[in-house]
Amino acid sequence: MQFGIFSVGDVTADPTTGRTPTEAERIRATVEIAKKAEEVGLDVFATGEHHNPPFVPSSPTTLLGYVAAQTDRIILSTATTLITTNDPVKIAEDFSVLQNLSAGRVDLMLGRGNTGPVYPWFGQDIQAAIPLTVEHYGLLRRLWREEVVDWTGNYRTSLQGFTLAPRPLDGVPPFVWHGSIRTPEVAELAAYYGDGFFHNHIFWPPSHTKRMVQLYRQRFEHYGHGRADQAIVGLGGQVFMRPNSQDAVAEFRPYFDNAPVYGHGPSLEEFSAQTPLTVGSPQQVIDRTLGFRQYAGDYQRQLFLIDHAGLPLKTVLEQLDLLGEEVIPVLRKEFAVGRPEHVPDAPTHETLVKAAASSGADADTASVADTSEEHQP
Amino acid sequence: MTKLAIVSGGLREPSSTRLLADRITAAVEAALAGRNLTATASVIELRRVGRAIMDTMLTGFATSDLESVFETVADADGVIAVTPAFNASFSGLFKSFFDVLPEETLSEMPVLIAATGGTERHSLVLEHALRPMFSYLHAIVSPTGVYAATNDFGAQQRSVELSERIGKAAEDFARLLQACGPRTRRDVFTEELTDMERLLAGWQPRGAGDTVED
Repeated sequence: MQFGIFSVGDVTADPTTGRTPTEAERIRATVEIAKKAEEVGLDVFATGEHHNPPFVPSSPTTLLGYVAAQTDRIILSTATTLITTNDPVKIAEDFSVLQNLSAGRVDLMLGRGNTGPVYPWFGQDIQAAIPLTVEHYGLLRRLWREEVVDWTGNYRTSLQGFTLAPRPLDGVPPFVWHGSIRTPEVAELAAYYGDGFFHNHIFWPPSHTKRMVQLYRQRFEHYGHGRADQAIVGLGGQVFMRPNSQDAVAEFRPYFDNAPVYGHGPSLEEFSAQTPLTVGSPQQVIDRTLGFRQYAGDYQRQLFLIDHAGLPLKTVLEQLDLLGEEVIPVLRKEFAVGRPEHVPDAPTHETLVKAAASSGADADTASVADTSEEHQP
Repeated sequence: MTKLAIVSGGLREPSSTRLLADRITAAVEAALAGRNLTATASVIELRRVGRAIMDTMLTGFATSDLESVFETVADADGVIAVTPAFNASFSGLFKSFFDVLPEETLSEMPVLIAATGGTERHSLVLEHALRPMFSYLHAIVSPTGVYAATNDFGAQQRSVELSERIGKAAEDFARLLQACGPRTRRDVFTEELTDMERLLAGWQPRGAGDTVED
């Protein structure tokens, strides 16, 4: 099982000091957080993508490329890459370069984005978000898998004789997750292609997460990718820890109360009861997180949100220490208990390369098929 | 069995809005009985879920208490919606409830609209505020609503008139409920899924390299 963090990349005033970091400070802090995540033994660092203040990560592969140069082991990912408003050709190029640079330490999570104006800013129509997602993703897959692509669609200029450069490392595209909160279409898309499904999990009650994950698992099996419990599931989570739980609550409360997403609404206690937010001791985080398995089944990736709402860098790094020293080792051990043999781990570049090599004959057949398909209208 | 959900936006206890809601409910039950139809009535006092409604607006998800209220409305065959008239419209709480109610919950739902107010000068709130909102939500709004001013609950003559107006609205609503029959709930979740399935299936021939087997 993989553990990691995902960052929204918000520039928010620290409510306890009133100080707002500069954008440069926030970007550099994000790099420190990613490096620390590797140092404390986490497996994944994922950045969001936003195109409006107060967020800074508008160019995720630039950030991840910089992080890749300063890390050796951690998987670099996104949460999420906007498949709707980005040109799929540019996504294919950016992540192909990143994948080659980082020796395959890359996967990505696709999402539609929830900021309405971003669509018109990038020349798209939010009303078409779902068909746009289907078309863009269909093209992205072909760009990574076929040498020469002839393509015509509704939302982008046609491609004739287009070859993606650079080709994916070792001929294997990065693994793709599809992220969603409440859109069944996204679970269906992930299931259709046998990709991973990530539920954001932090803004909704577990009952909703359960429904979406169950749907994805059933449809994954329906489309013949394996058994339902072999589908590739990721979950978000949101934690704040101190050795004593009272200290955690007291310290986090002003950040919660003023947080851009849920501040000035329900109390910290209500929100903690209704969503997976856990503010307390490392042991409480361990217990709560292990409980996710009860409604999501044995899953593959757990990402925590720890660096938002104006929390200072020093505090975030302390959170990473606690995660790395006290929480993740126990979670690794406990999640392995009772996990059936046939439940796979999340695919990595290494396992995907191995899988491609072991089905070498199939791959030859596939490339012949691809060639013939290029000449279809 | 006709399942009625009564949404009352009254704020005080006792509340004239709730009082009107109860009288309408009783009249509707009687009118249904006259058509050999039995009914159950579930009353939703919005005051009791007032904070939950606002939290839902702020966080985007409903608490489990409010979800069960949504479920009561969604499962009904007909809704009786009663609000106090505030500032020439429905109350903010009443509007907020329908703002957070999941999409399509009221689609093809027979709805009887009613309102209370300090004077009869506000009676057109039914036609100018409630009816358009419920039409927008794709409800089937009963042609006759009920507006009750404070005076309607007092003087003998006025009180008789209110009873007659309630009786007329209840009779119309019963006729509508009978004509509509038991309501089939829309399952938006499954509808979206089916649309997506169709979209992906239709997409496949075009995205020739996309196979489900890889």
